[in-house]
Amino acid sequence: MTRTPHLVPPPRPPSRRTLLRWGAFGGAGVALGPLSACAGPTGAPGPGTLTLGLNRSLVSLDNKLNQFEAAVTVQRAVRQALTRIGPGLRPQLVLADRFEMTEPTTWTVRLREGVCYSDGSPVTVDDVATALRMYGKVPGSFLLGLFPELPAVEATGERTFFLRTRRPVPGLDRLMSNIHITPAKANRPEELRSGLGSGPYRVVRANSGAGEYTLARNTRYWGGRPSVDTVRVRFVPEESSRVVALRSGELDVVDTLTPDSAEQLTGLPGVTVQEISGARMCQLFYNFRKPEGHPLADARVRQALTYAIDGTALVRDVLTGTAEEARGVVPLALQGAVPTGTYAFDPGRARRLLRSLGAEDLRIKVIWESGEFAGDTSVMEAVLDMLQDVGVRASLQQFEPGGDILKWRQGRGGDWDVIGNGYSSPTGQALTMLQGMYGGTAEKDRTGDAFMGYVIPRIERRLSAAATEVDDSERERRLAAVQHAVWDTWPSLWAFAPKTLLARRDRVRGLALQPINSYDLTAVRLEG
Amino acid sequence: MPTYLARRIGQSVLTVFLTLTTVFLLVRLAPGDPASAYAAPNATSADLARIREQFGLDDPLIVQYGLFLRDLFTGDLGTSYSFHSPALDVVLDRIPYTVTLAVSAIAVTTLVAVPLGVWMARRADTRRELGANVLTIAGQSMPDFWTGVMLLTVFAVVLPVLPASGFTSWSGLVLPTATVAVLQLALVSRLVRREMTTALASSYITVARSRGVRESALTWRYALANSAVPLVTALGTRFAALLNGVVVVEVVFGWPGVGSLVVRALETRDYPLIQATVLVTATLAILVQLLVDLAYPLLDPRVRLGKAA
Repeated sequence: MTRTPHLVPPPRPPSRRTLLRWGAFGGAGVALGPLSACAGPTGAPGPGTLTLGLNRSLVSLDNKLNQFEAAVTVQRAVRQALTRIGPGLRPQLVLADRFEMTEPTTWTVRLREGVCYSDGSPVTVDDVATALRMYGKVPGSFLLGLFPELPAVEATGERTFFLRTRRPVPGLDRLMSNIHITPAKANRPEELRSGLGSGPYRVVRANSGAGEYTLARNTRYWGGRPSVDTVRVRFVPEESSRVVALRSGELDVVDTLTPDSAEQLTGLPGVTVQEISGARMCQLFYNFRKPEGHPLADARVRQALTYAIDGTALVRDVLTGTAEEARGVVPLALQGAVPTGTYAFDPGRARRLLRSLGAEDLRIKVIWESGEFAGDTSVMEAVLDMLQDVGVRASLQQFEPGGDILKWRQGRGGDWDVIGNGYSSPTGQALTMLQGMYGGTAEKDRTGDAFMGYVIPRIERRLSAAATEVDDSERERRLAAVQHAVWDTWPSLWAFAPKTLLARRDRVRGLALQPINSYDLTAVRLEG
Repeated sequence: MPTYLARRIGQSVLTVFLTLTTVFLLVRLAPGDPASAYAAPNATSADLARIREQFGLDDPLIVQYGLFLRDLFTGDLGTSYSFHSPALDVVLDRIPYTVTLAVSAIAVTTLVAVPLGVWMARRADTRRELGANVLTIAGQSMPDFWTGVMLLTVFAVVLPVLPASGFTSWSGLVLPTATVAVLQLALVSRLVRREMTTALASSYITVARSRGVRESALTWRYALANSAVPLVTALGTRFAALLNGVVVVEVVFGWPGVGSLVVRALETRDYPLIQATVLVTATLAILVQLLVDLAYPLLDPRVRLGKAA
């Protein structure tokens, strides 16, 4: 066969082919450009690098709005406060070397000598005053809600100043652990994008959109030299991916574990699961906005319903032992918390009591937002069965995150009877949580701001009196009495304190997990 | 050509504008309150009112829309409620990851699916072709989260040779790319197979073959060239879809792309972030479609853009 190439003409315009080639090269360039920018030899951390896997995106290293427990660890490695909540949930001095109540409404503070930011500039009294002003201007801040009032700064020297309040705030040393100090001229009433702070680490790379940060040791750090050279923070939203990454050695620490993941990781070679009693209370809280005459407005009915709940089984089987059944109205890990009673499972008694109180035909609607606590749906389904076992017709309504549950909590969305809710105390104090949940007043409830409508004036009065008591032992005594009084109002169908769970590779040493789900990065070291 | 290009660009701008307007209205009609998603759980009603005022959420819808348009034309898409920084910047931080994954997945798909489709066409209706068909369809039928988790288990845990999550090295791209590509393989290879079967049965191939053109040239230079237009259309459509993010794959592999970003934005009712994401992804998708259209005359000289057939 003779080839006659001239009869089958080759593709005519070479320019077309050339253009296609250029297109192919361009496409390859687009593909390889970003790749080369991110390329590195391996995904595993180096010997001097600690890699943390967070379940939520750390959108900045400022805590004015972005306050969740795991973030605190990283934020405090860069920016520091005058104090911090240390081991045993006791306040420790950080940027201040003196912080004491010298009068009921005055605290005398002295900045530590020689403290400076990572750029070498000194930490000043003006920086503290500006920080307080800026935190005060952020609407909707979680931290602001913790302060009965923000103190005013009155400088008395180059390093000394008074913090003055109108009424006594005995826990001010704890509250100030949340006010991170940054240079006054760079501070704004918003989340700060730059990472200038006085902490042991400084930010060398940040991608807040992806929630990824690289921290390097701050060579100008005023305190002891941290053991780890580099800390990488990564956002890995899916829990199973974090577990896999920890198992493969790609992540060194993953925190805020669910019971399922903790169970998977326990006993694996090279991995250690740490747990500690938590500072968060998860409750099935009653709706206190029920009109007089409604069965749930009667504390005896609320108490009777608690006998329907088998808390031991819920903790053992549903929460797989990663929580403790509440023995008080706040977690006992908190400073000032006292045991006030226990939940007892006695369905026969529940039935008898409900009958005797004329509440045998009770209908209960339970609402909650997905993800309010680990295993929330399973807990709610089990509770539904338990209530039905004592003749209560119960129903569940689950809200998606970002939905309208706040309206319902404030009594503006619809009627409900029990809400699944979690509440934390970042100050480590029982008082903070008690004030948030049980310090409701009629005035607050007019705008729906009393916690689930809990307005009991005698409780609120006793709580206010305890909150402003400057004598430590008297305050503790009063707080204990208030907690017993709250328990007797039976605010919750059931409650538990989830343990704080963290898993780490065995090469990570010195990690002292605290109940507030945070730890001091400077104490962490890497071995092997 | 310039007229065609101008008209297409005009159409594209109109499409993006209409898409943004629709999204603007729909997100505001959906239940949920951005102020309560933004504020702390202990925020008071007064706090929420201040936040709504700060973000202009208490203005009438028409006023909000007017302000949105004014800001849009100045390139300001607002501040993300959840990231507390310009929404456009947040999206642009994520776009390189999404583009990287999309380009890599399409490249792998093309490199595997095209030869596979050609091979299947050359062996049409044989047992081997049937086997290949079954395998690719099985890949497509598996849910992406399952494929991802299986790949993770094998290559990151059992044989720890590849990273499990994120994009910290080249190797981090392998598993997400493979997961996305597996889903595209069946579609593209079957398309290539169908087009190639038709092309190989065409008379011009018969004529060329009778004149002694080599089989490899017939397949790759003549038949495949004639199948290029539908192939590029399909790849362009898949690529545009990938630019909107592959949420499940991003979640499984901790890949910081725009898919997971938009899910988070929807959860937190972060209107500026939703709008910025839609603007960027819609623009990219339309740009890809435009490039595909512009590629037609290069692939097939009979095509004349902007002229009636």
